Amino acid sequence: MTTQTETPPAATAAASDNIAHDLEQLSELATLVTSARDAMSDEIVTRLASALSEGITLLDRLTRNEGLMRLLQVLDRPESQHLLLSLSEALGAMSRDIATAPPAKGGLVGLLRLAREPGTQEGLRSLSLLGQYWSESLRELHRRGGA
Amino acid sequence: MRILVVGGGTGGTIVANNLARRLAGEIRARKARITMLSASDRHMYQPGLLYVAFGQMMPDELYRDQASLLETCIDFHVDPVEQFQLDQNQVRTKSGRIHEYDVLVIATGSRIVPEEIPGLAEGAETFYTEESAVKMFKSLREFQGGKLAIVVGVPHKCPIAPVEVTFALHDYFKARGIRDKVEMKYHYPINRIHSIENVAKWAKPEFDRIGVEYETLFNVKEVDVKNKIVKSEEGTETEYDLLISIPAHRGMEVIEKDKLGVGGWIPTDRHQLTMEGHDNVYVLGDTTNLPVSKTGSAAHFEAEVVAENIASIMKIGAPVREYDGKVYCFIEAGHDRATYAMFNYKNPPDLKPPNKSMHWFKMSYNQMYWTSVRGLL
Repeated sequence: MTTQTETPPAATAAASDNIAHDLEQLSELATLVTSARDAMSDEIVTRLASALSEGITLLDRLTRNEGLMRLLQVLDRPESQHLLLSLSEALGAMSRDIATAPPAKGGLVGLLRLAREPGTQEGLRSLSLLGQYWSESLRELHRRGGA
Repeated sequence: MRILVVGGGTGGTIVANNLARRLAGEIRARKARITMLSASDRHMYQPGLLYVAFGQMMPDELYRDQASLLETCIDFHVDPVEQFQLDQNQVRTKSGRIHEYDVLVIATGSRIVPEEIPGLAEGAETFYTEESAVKMFKSLREFQGGKLAIVVGVPHKCPIAPVEVTFALHDYFKARGIRDKVEMKYHYPINRIHSIENVAKWAKPEFDRIGVEYETLFNVKEVDVKNKIVKSEEGTETEYDLLISIPAHRGMEVIEKDKLGVGGWIPTDRHQLTMEGHDNVYVLGDTTNLPVSKTGSAAHFEAEVVAENIASIMKIGAPVREYDGKVYCFIEAGHDRATYAMFNYKNPPDLKPPNKSMHWFKMSYNQMYWTSVRGLL
């Protein structure tokens, strides 16, 4: 005994709708491609290709640049990002303070007054430490032939 | 290992850059050194000359500084070789300097020799140098109609040039509205309209369609400039008002002078690309005597094989690749359509119908060339 199954009319109609929808989308895609082809010109193709060519060259140079790769590794560390953020904030605060402070009068008295401030002393200490570690880092770079 | 690359054209530049990448560690460790000697500090995109001849590119668009195209570790000198002393593994340059080598790559290219045919240099327009391409454009601009003859000498650079220039001329005159006033006649030295059989089969009906007459077995003997007649070795003649020539080429003079190869073409092993009798001398591009087209693509594919083999010899003591004769040529077919021919020692090209996408691919390649010559594509 064989069993025959019949597709319900509603299912056939749904399948037809799906095919019509797919065809409509394909037609839209074809129109888009034709439209893009018609809109293009030798000039546009040449400019795009030129930009792509230069972009690939730049990317190649960047990705094979050992110094840049080391810099990216350093920047990837949270403490480096924190450092850059704090430096950025410090630069912003300094910019605001300088804009609102009266111009310096000059002279030894002013210099002594500035030197007595704890912030100045902390700043000098930071710069001194920065100089010390930077020098060590530069010596290491030269030793490895990286500079 | 001291690697000396002579010639800063397509083949020389690609082989030097490719080697610089493959031997980066060895170069840093001072175990390898790459030196390039070139006749010019500028690098020209030679296929662009055809566009210059039709006013579609300006000459300055064809050039880049050679040093900007080379990896920074390559020791580059504008100092052409004046003498190859292969028995002593050294060359002498124009400045008088001696460069010794362990491996030598010769990629000196080729030159046109229209002066070998009486009247051809004076009587015909061509596009194989910047000056001649600009001059040809000005002649085309002034041409108002009449008999136009295209003649071809062999061997010549860019095998497809004769048919491409024919299609381009048809398009140019059509765009100017004077195509019906121009009688175009194409002449080719062998008994079909192109040396590559499938290109000849494809181009013939295209010529018929655009109304280009053709005469085969026409080897130019002389040009009677005064009477405007081009004569063939076979005894036929063609009158012209404008003569366009694809002149015959030869290898560079220094190759002939030092007796490295007849006609300036160096006898080369077809798979290893070494000079016959000299295992440490490689030959690339137009300079070889190989039975492949003299094109940038052949130089490119050869350069990859040579670079990989030199690097592998340094790393494991043996070459790893063989050149299969691969050539890839775009063919601009007019009406903003193009197709291509790809073939090697064993397989002839199978040309597809031209289309606009291939034309744009060619237009794109005109820019991508600079990426290619840096050894990236």
